[in-house]
Formats: sequence, C-alpha cells, structure tokens
Amino acid sequence: MDFGFTEEQVGLQDQVRRFVASECPLTRVRQIMEADRAYDAALWSKTAELGWQALTVPEAYGGLGLAWEDLIIVAEETGRGLLPSPLLATAAAARLLAALGDEKQKSRWLASIAAGQTVATIAALEDGDVLDERGITCRAEVRAGGEVALHGSKSLVAYGQAADLFLVVAREQDGVSVFAVESPASGLVVEPLSLVDATQRAADVVLDGVIVPESARLGPAGKAWPAVRSVLDAAAVALAAELVGAADASVAMATEYAKIRRQFGQPIGRFQGVKHRLAELHVAVESARSLVYYAAWAVDHAGDPSMHVSMAKAYASTAADEAGEECIQIHGAIGFTWECDAHLYYKRGRCCRNLMGSPEAHRERVLTSQGL
Amino acid sequence: MNFSFTPEEEKFREDVRAFLAEHNPNRVEDADDDIESGLARLPKLMAWNQALYDRRWVGFHWPREVGGGGGGVVEQMILKEECAKAHAPMLGLSYMGLAWVGPGVIKYGSEEQKRRFIPPILKGEEHWCTGYSEPGSGSDLASLQCKAERNGDDYLINGQKIWTSLAMWAQWMILLVRTDPRASKHAGMSCLLVPMDTPGIDVRPIKTMNGRTPFAEVFFDNVRVPVVNRLGEEGQGWDVTKTALANERSSIAEVTALQHNVEELKRLAVQCRLNGRPAIEETNVRQRLAKLDCTIEAMRLSGLRFLTKQLRGEPVGAETSVNKLLRAGVEVEIGRLGCDIQGSRGAIEGGRWQKHMLSWPATVIGGGTPNIQKNVIAERILGLPRDVSSG
Repeated sequence: MDFGFTEEQVGLQDQVRRFVASECPLTRVRQIMEADRAYDAALWSKTAELGWQALTVPEAYGGLGLAWEDLIIVAEETGRGLLPSPLLATAAAARLLAALGDEKQKSRWLASIAAGQTVATIAALEDGDVLDERGITCRAEVRAGGEVALHGSKSLVAYGQAADLFLVVAREQDGVSVFAVESPASGLVVEPLSLVDATQRAADVVLDGVIVPESARLGPAGKAWPAVRSVLDAAAVALAAELVGAADASVAMATEYAKIRRQFGQPIGRFQGVKHRLAELHVAVESARSLVYYAAWAVDHAGDPSMHVSMAKAYASTAADEAGEECIQIHGAIGFTWECDAHLYYKRGRCCRNLMGSPEAHRERVLTSQGL
Repeated sequence: MNFSFTPEEEKFREDVRAFLAEHNPNRVEDADDDIESGLARLPKLMAWNQALYDRRWVGFHWPREVGGGGGGVVEQMILKEECAKAHAPMLGLSYMGLAWVGPGVIKYGSEEQKRRFIPPILKGEEHWCTGYSEPGSGSDLASLQCKAERNGDDYLINGQKIWTSLAMWAQWMILLVRTDPRASKHAGMSCLLVPMDTPGIDVRPIKTMNGRTPFAEVFFDNVRVPVVNRLGEEGQGWDVTKTALANERSSIAEVTALQHNVEELKRLAVQCRLNGRPAIEETNVRQRLAKLDCTIEAMRLSGLRFLTKQLRGEPVGAETSVNKLLRAGVEVEIGRLGCDIQGSRGAIEGGRWQKHMLSWPATVIGGGTPNIQKNVIAERILGLPRDVSSG
C-alpha cells in the first residue's frame, strides 16, 4: 500500500513545474492568449523535446509507455501554470487510438503524435450536454465502395482549430463508432470559439458529408462506446488534475497577497474572515487532489472507475471554481483588473466547471454507478 | 502508486475477520451505543476486552515492553477498519485511558507509573476521564486556571473542570493544572493523575440537548494529590497532553462509520416519500447524498496519503486537520439529511436520525472546533499570521 509518488514521478513533477515557471510564466501565457493562433508552435516543440507528447503513447509506437497517473502529474502542473497547449486533448486521442485502433492505424498516427508532429483531438460531445451514449446523434452513413459519409455537429471540441486529426464519434446502424478524420477535409468545417477562458482553445465542428474510407473506422462497427466512455473518463480526470493545479495556484496567490496586503494596521491574512476562507479552500484542494490521484490510478487499474472519475471531476471543478472566485475577493478591487492574474484563474475555473460534465451531472453518476 | 496489500497484511486481515466472527458481541444496532446502554452490556464488553487483550490487540501500536502489541501502522489500520465494518465495540473498554493516558505515561511516566497504570488500562479494568476544559478555558485551553499548590508531599488542588466525559464512572482522572502562575501560560502547567474518590472532588452531571448525560462539571475543593502522581516534570503538563494528540493514527475507522451512516441514509431515502415519490428520486436528496459520498471518499483517500507518509518516515505536519474539518461538516450534514429525507415527519423525536442531529456537537465542538481547525490549517499549513492574541 503506497499512495505516493515514486522518485521518478517526483522528478517528472519537478521538471514540469520548473519548465512551466521558466518557459511559460503567466506573462508568456498572456502573450499566447492574445496571439491570433490556434496554439503556440514553439512551446509545443519544446514540450515534445521533453517527451510530454510521448508520455502515455505505447513504447511499440515510439512513446514512453507511462501510465495515466504520470500524465496527471504533468496536468496538475500545466493547470497550475495555465499552460496553453493541445497536450491533454492529444493525449486523450492517443489513448483512444491505442484502445481501438488496429496495427496499421496505430502505426500511422501514434508515432507522429508521440513526436509532437500531429495534434489530435476527440470530437465526441454534442450540444445539450448528454454524457451517455444517447448524446451521440452525429451520423455515419456507410456507402457502396467502402466509403463512409459523416453528418452532424460537435460542440466545444478541445483545440479543434489546432487539430491535424479528429477522432469523430458517430452513430451508424449497429451503434456508436469512431472515425479518424484528417484535417483539412472537404465538408469538415471548424468554427473556432472565443472562450471566456482564453488560456485554452476550443471549436465547434460541423461535418457536412465528410467522406472517409471504411479503413478510417477504429475498431468493430457500432461497438465503440465502451472504449469512448472509458477514454472520456480518463480525459475528465486529466482535466480535473489541471483544475487541482489551478485551484492550488489560486489559493497560493490569495495567501501570498493576504500576507503582504496591510489594512487596519496589519496583514489582512490575520483576519479570521480571510484566513478561514483560505483554510476551507485548502481543504477543498487537498480533498480534490486525493480523489484525482486515485482516479488516475483507477482508470488504468480498476474494473469500473466511473464512480471515482465522477467524484474527482465534481470535486476538482468545485474547488477551482470557488478558489478562483475567492482569489479575486481577497485581492479586493485590484482583483477585478485585467493586469492582476486573479481573473485568469477565475475564468479557468468558471469555464471548466461544466466541461466534460458539470459537478451536478457527475454527482448524479456517483449515485447511478451504485445502482441508485 | 499501488493500493494492494502484502500477503502478510492480507493474512492479518483474515485473522482479524476470524477473530471478529468469534468474539464480536455487537449487533449492527449496538454500534451507536451510548455509555448507559454500554454499561448494561458490560459482561459481554469485558469478555471482548479480554479476547483483545490475549492477542495484544488492546494498545495495538504501543511498545511490547509495556504490554502493547508493537504493531505497525498498516496492521493497525486493517484492524480498525475490519472492526468498524463489523460494527464492533471500541478496541478496549478503557478507551479514554487508551487515548489520553497511555501515550503520556509511556513517554513521560516513571517505571512505577508505567507498572501501576498501563496494565489496568489494557485489561479494561480501570476507567479514566480527562480534566482539561474549564468554563473559562475551552478553545484557549492553555489559559486554564485550576490551581495545584505544593503542600508537603502533596499538591492541593482548587478549581473546576467542565465537559469531563465519563466523570461519573471513572476511577481516575488525568488532570491538567496550573502549578506556576508566574510562568508563561504554556510553561506553567503540570499533569496529575488523580483518584476520583479523593475527598473534595464533586462531580455534577450535565445533560445535553439529546437528553443524555455524557459528561460533568468537576469541582475541586482542597483536593490532596501526592506529588508522586504527577506525570512528567512540573511545567511539562502541556507537552504531556500533546502526546495524546501526536499519537493519532489512522482515521479509517471513523471513515467506515461515516460510510455506514450514508448507506443507511440511502436505504432511508428509498423508503421515505417526498412530494408523492421516493425521496431517493428527489434531485436535492440525490445531490446531497452524492456530496457525502465524495467527501467521505476524499477523507478515506487523504487518510491513505497520510498513512503513506508515515510508512515512508516522511515528516508530517498538520495534515490531519484537513480531515477533522471535513468530518465536522459531514457529521452535521448526516444528521440534517436524515431528518430532511423524512420531510415533515422528521420533526418527531426519538428516531435514529433525530438522535444523530442532536448529537453532533460531541465530535464537532469537542476536540477542537471547526474555527480552531481552520486557524490551524491557515497558520500551520498556509503560513498565515496568527490571530491578535490577548496574551
């Protein structure tokens, strides 16, 4: 029984934390936010050199073959620094490829992903936030001659505007399948969204009769949902890990401010109204962290990790949302300004709260996964 | 990370289960016992203590030289968890002695004191109460005023204690007194071991809002206690008292008990009806139940992270305050939800959840209020400035 990190994991955590602090401090984050590009290519190259894109890709395809819990260590740090990158979107897509793809498909794309040459993303969620299989209404129409036509719309596809490869979840006659769609493609319309949280990117994607060969289907026709659900769960844990990092950074920022800001002759952090709120948030962050770390282990090792995935996402969302808001409050009027970094964390918390399932939807799943 | 146990640890778990199958005197409903009903089942509880004692499972993690089990952290966690799952009684009748007295005697006691006091605690033969809080000294315990003045080979004690659990039944009290009023408040206290039948001690029970009488005020009028009953040196009282807190181990048993309560709430929600349908279908009920599930699971996992630090010999700080604060919120919410699920009928007294709703101050206020826990977290973990003190 050991619920802690190995020496290698501590080393990875340290490396990522130092990279984020030196290569992408918040000043750089702001530059990337304001640039009119889908992602920052220079930053993407640097992380590829460190092997981050290769972390969870199987070794047989040029990856490091590490576990999802190792990715979560990276995610907590990139969340702490609000690092703008298609890293997690690509990692989730790689996991789905590894789960469903045949040798040819895996060879074709995984090595390129691991090398940082392909940005990939899963296009699953549709408008209306239905998180189970019923939410897939995008259609895949098999035609004569070994072709499939894709029709429908996908909502808030992570880094859709940056993606070279979309893994599109669509319904065909027998059920849900996944199709690999390389971008650009005729009929594939990517509509970049302007998010409240400009440290991340997402796009709506319309598939207006996009034609792919049947060989673009990953896995057996109509039977992909369990793998899709499982990978989306892993992706939710990665998002939750980023939120733990962001929440922790909010608390740290507010705590530092409370130590130096003086009013009424003393640091405001001495007032119980202020320090008690920070104590409560620390408890929320620590609890979320415990749930996220366990869920990260569970997605690789437990038979059915869905309850723990939902616990992690619900708790981390709430912690980041509340910590982000409180950080502004503790800063007083300064916290309202563009120049102060508090709003960056506030917006990350507010936006991600309802991505990949709201806390309410996940709490509901905590109960339904117990048969209630 | 790994969450599996070694073959030896799994064998130990099986041993514990076999032990419980043979010796556990409790049925499920006995687990929520109060003192009075416990006393009514005393012969069964004494047999339980004896069975534990024979295995050295009372004082499981105490050194073997004093009669303890010398057991490890993981085994202790397994033992407590299995007992909690089986709704077994506490791991020893003299539980105040085990929690508050033993650790202090082991660390600070003379050889004579260890010989005199440890065995009866382990055997469940001698019962203890703690004389700490006073009407004027609760959260600010170190401000206590109960005096012990040197008089020949004795101390003369004058003052008052309050919230003294089990004072009506204990044979002994571990008493924190002020022996040096001129020293700073933390440095002027000493710890005395006091027989409760000493002349001058007056115990007055206090009734709580749940109708029970779990504790008392205790008045000391020129009570004479031999100096040899002092535990540790004069002025070491605060350190002796802190030993008990430093000895805190896995809270896994508490988590299991909370899980049991929430499972009961789910069964209740299936049976009760709100607005024409089972309460379990109400969104608000479902969200509250799920929040409890999430929080309790977070407590369990945070406990395992803390356990890992102990196993690895890494330094530990005030991390336990995180779970203490969470537990307070969970205890209150369990009682409230239990009554809310019953809707308007929740107003009728006598049921399990009404009792729970009227009992939470024992764990939430006793042992450090939420406001104090928040101060501990803010100051010792986040490094925020201490409150402006009156001295």
